[in-house]
Amino acid sequence: MAIAQRGTASNYLQRAPSPSGLADVLDVILDKGLVIDAYVRVSVIGIEVLTIDARIVIASVDTYLRFAEQVNRLDLTQTETAGIAELRDGGKKQETEGAIEGAKEKLTPGKDKESSRS
Amino acid sequence: MSPTEASVAEPPTALGTTYLYGIVPAGAVDSIASEGVRGATVTVLAQGGVAALVSDVSDGELRMTRKDLRRHLDVIDEVFRETTILPCPFGTTLDSREAVVEDVLRAKRDALVAGLADLEGTVQLNVKVRHDERALLRTIVASDPTIARLRQESANDAAYAVRLELGRQVAGAVEAHREADAARLVDALADEAIDVAVERDDALVLKAAFLVARAQQDRFDAVIDRVAAAEQELLRFEVIGPLPPTAFVQRVVEV
Repeated sequence: MAIAQRGTASNYLQRAPSPSGLADVLDVILDKGLVIDAYVRVSVIGIEVLTIDARIVIASVDTYLRFAEQVNRLDLTQTETAGIAELRDGGKKQETEGAIEGAKEKLTPGKDKESSRS
Repeated sequence: MSPTEASVAEPPTALGTTYLYGIVPAGAVDSIASEGVRGATVTVLAQGGVAALVSDVSDGELRMTRKDLRRHLDVIDEVFRETTILPCPFGTTLDSREAVVEDVLRAKRDALVAGLADLEGTVQLNVKVRHDERALLRTIVASDPTIARLRQESANDAAYAVRLELGRQVAGAVEAHREADAARLVDALADEAIDVAVERDDALVLKAAFLVARAQQDRFDAVIDRVAAAEQELLRFEVIGPLPPTAFVQRVVEV
């Protein structure tokens, strides 16, 4: 398909013809589509609870402190030279993972547990 | 669906033995190459101009596994390449093939035909946008004097209260950026779309599905290219598709 050929090597836009990660697959087929009343479906309760958790986590003291730490670590002289900055502190990348990433990590174990049951 | 509703309506363990993937126009496909959930063969049941894609599933066999989620998606994706489909959510089962024919294809025929007509020639593009967080935080520090001051004050092992206040203010500024960015993006992208379904996700600036006419997809892609390039300093885009229009089926079909 045209969209796949177009590809994207850019760091700000990535395209894929089809979802590859579990989260993206769930986005497409979980709780979305033709729902026929009065018929039984698989329970997907676990996932919905996790979605609600995400909102609580983001407005927590934990998140605030992580944001504060990140802002304190920022090297403001790096503005406009993202490419060079990435090279320079490539090794420290994990340390500077964002607060939002942190919140997402809290979600992942539950989601994995849910999906790997077989 | 809330847990309570689900358990009041039907016990979630009482699954049917016929798995339903979706509805297509009769005659549009005669066989499915992709394997169905639990590795079963997918077949087509036609009745009165509409057809259902089904496979057998044994009682108690169906769980939400990575592999079966993929199989469900592969089946509806294969059919979507050939024709219009009203996809069902993962895990849709009925008691028998007769129930599919009688209670769905026959009983809901008019709604299904109308829904297929509505979604004919459309594709769904899923768009996720996140901030480049370090770039965003630099922007916030540079543009908010209070945050810049709190940052200075908290630089050397400052009191917990100062750090907490800094974090709270930064979180507020991030949220304000997110809301403004999301509104601006939906505005820019909706022009080339038929419909848009936005989902709340606190880890993202925007998580949305866009319904686009297949014939207009190049134009939608071009808008994405342009907007993403213009916003590259702070935003990162992921676009998945063309997908079957799963997020829009419930808006056009009432069954």
